[in-house]
Amino acid sequence: MSYAIEVCDLVKRYKTVTALDRVSFTIEEGEFFGLLGPNGAGKTTLIRILTTLIKPTSGRAVVMGLDVVKKRAEVRKVIGVLPQAMTSDLDLTGLETLDIYGRFYGIPAMERKKRIAQLLELVGLKERARDLVAAYSGGMRRRLEIARALIHMPSLLILDEPTLGLDPQSRHTVWELLRRFQDSYNLTILLTTHYMEEAESLCGRVAIIDYGKIVALDTVEGLKRMVPEKDTIELSITNIGLDRAEAWIKTLSYVHSCVIRDDTLMVSVDNGARMVPVLVDGLRGLGARVTRIILKEKTLEDVFIHFTGRPIREEESRKVSFLIGAGVPLKWSR
Amino acid sequence: MIRFLAVVERDLRKFLRNPLVILVSIVMPVVYLVILGNSLQGELRNITVAVVDMDRGPFADRVIERLYALQAGPGTIMLVRVADQGKAMEGLKSGRFKGVLIIPTDFSRDIMRGKNPELGLFLDNAETVSADTLRMAITGAIGEIERDFLPVRTRTSIPSVREVNLYKKVDYDQSLIPGVVIMAIFLGTMTTGAFNLVMDRFLGIEESYFLTPLTRYDIVMGLMVSGLIVTTVLALFVLFASSLISGIYLWKVLTLHGFVLLTVIIVLSTLGLLGLMFIIMGRINHPRIVGVLGGFLNVIFFFPSGAIYPVESFPWWLKGFAIVNPETYSVHALRAILFKGADIEAVKGDILFLSVFAVVALLIGILVFKRGL
Repeated sequence: MSYAIEVCDLVKRYKTVTALDRVSFTIEEGEFFGLLGPNGAGKTTLIRILTTLIKPTSGRAVVMGLDVVKKRAEVRKVIGVLPQAMTSDLDLTGLETLDIYGRFYGIPAMERKKRIAQLLELVGLKERARDLVAAYSGGMRRRLEIARALIHMPSLLILDEPTLGLDPQSRHTVWELLRRFQDSYNLTILLTTHYMEEAESLCGRVAIIDYGKIVALDTVEGLKRMVPEKDTIELSITNIGLDRAEAWIKTLSYVHSCVIRDDTLMVSVDNGARMVPVLVDGLRGLGARVTRIILKEKTLEDVFIHFTGRPIREEESRKVSFLIGAGVPLKWSR
Repeated sequence: MIRFLAVVERDLRKFLRNPLVILVSIVMPVVYLVILGNSLQGELRNITVAVVDMDRGPFADRVIERLYALQAGPGTIMLVRVADQGKAMEGLKSGRFKGVLIIPTDFSRDIMRGKNPELGLFLDNAETVSADTLRMAITGAIGEIERDFLPVRTRTSIPSVREVNLYKKVDYDQSLIPGVVIMAIFLGTMTTGAFNLVMDRFLGIEESYFLTPLTRYDIVMGLMVSGLIVTTVLALFVLFASSLISGIYLWKVLTLHGFVLLTVIIVLSTLGLLGLMFIIMGRINHPRIVGVLGGFLNVIFFFPSGAIYPVESFPWWLKGFAIVNPETYSVHALRAILFKGADIEAVKGDILFLSVFAVVALLIGILVFKRGL
């Protein structure tokens, strides 16, 4: 089995803060791998080590067979990266951006021209290619940056929070693009996100990272199975009393619990989608009329809460210079 | 090579998309020339002086006549006759007058008796330049009065001096041109090169460059070369514009050799300052610091360069700084080429210093630059 990424006992410390604490995992070639974690969990630190921007304190990381500390220049040639922040030059056009980046990778002029046309078509920016990036919307900028990350046909695409700050429509467009690129170019994709929906929709396997440690790693379904909480079916009925219905439901072997809350029956089961028709048929048999059904399946968010304790955690405050706010030097910080 | 050129192109494109910066970089030094050339003209004019004549004798009239002649001629002073000494002094204190000349009672009589009468000159010495000018102008006028009453003697033993200028007369505003060109170079190097690095860092764009195979040399040299191109063009433009404004026609005073030499000085000065900016700003991540540093650096490099006042007149410690200040050598060389028609032999010392400074600054600039977050 060849791995696109191998991480072994990776540690990154900033003075007293441990951003990454003995992180180990592997990503197979062709995989769409998600790194899920709250803000400040260590996702970006991990990405920055894998993309050679910072050095680890200890441990080893190998990307496409290349050590990220010893073979930095070679690693940069085989990876395409989409950083968390928007990093496209506002004073350049989309076309110029791709051309200049193509030259950074030493792609010959003819090949470059062909690839740029192809990528602009794929990301839907062909018509706006000669406009300044400053005139692009956030979604357009992100699509351009995805094209930019793919200009040199990398084997591995690393995306750090690719849809952060985008509206739902733009987010879905980016997802669609990523799926298409993975299929077309047989890419290995590593994606960090704190959007559950994103990880669930795109990733084959997901690692949950918190306080610099990998706390769970499996397929989305596998992760869900690790969580003891069940699916919940909410039922509203008429014609018969709620007590009678509750008593009947409690006799069913596949039901874990049934309670009445606000004129609604809350039924806890293992596989909610399969159990809904069974329950409805049974209640009808008792003479009841089912007026409302809500199925609350276990989500990745439940998994996330299970492993990290909270759905959203506030990011730890960044250090800011005493002397000039966001400027330098950071030694004298607050 | 292709990578390094891509950095150059990217930077030049970005610069050209900001025409306001280009305009300001050209206009500012030229405006500086116009303002400085007209505000520091050397000779002061229209200094208001109150005269209180308490003598009313013939020699007092002669003094006043001389002062009127000074007013009508060079226009150094503007005379106001005041009858009351107290009011004249009040005017001096309030700033209405810069000086008060009191002609005392018996002034004419004392002269007639062969005594040495004294005139009272009260000066607003809080403004030293106008006070000194006034003292010199009035002393000169009174000296001539004295000569009117002394026997005329021909002093044959005193040799006379005939002034011969080696070079064509250089007006004050023309003498500022080398300084203005250096200022254009300074502004150019402040707004290109390392500044683009600071802006990229501030906007978070640099991360995307660090993720590519660009090396430290590609990035620094790319920014240096684009900064060199922009600054050299700006400096040459400012040179032509300021020369025209001050009445120098470069195509008449410069040979091709002189122009090439002048361009070499501009290029070397630019490279040196670009390197220096990389050393100073190489790790700064906020443009506000650049703004603060810009004004400060401009003052500490520009004024001790000899662009405004001769280096020889500086105190020892400032002279020491002037010796290591690259702008001193740039101003010296530009002045020599522009006003003296100097050849390479005359400016080889300047070229040597600027070359060494540029190489050292560039090397340290590259070393200081951190390719990574």
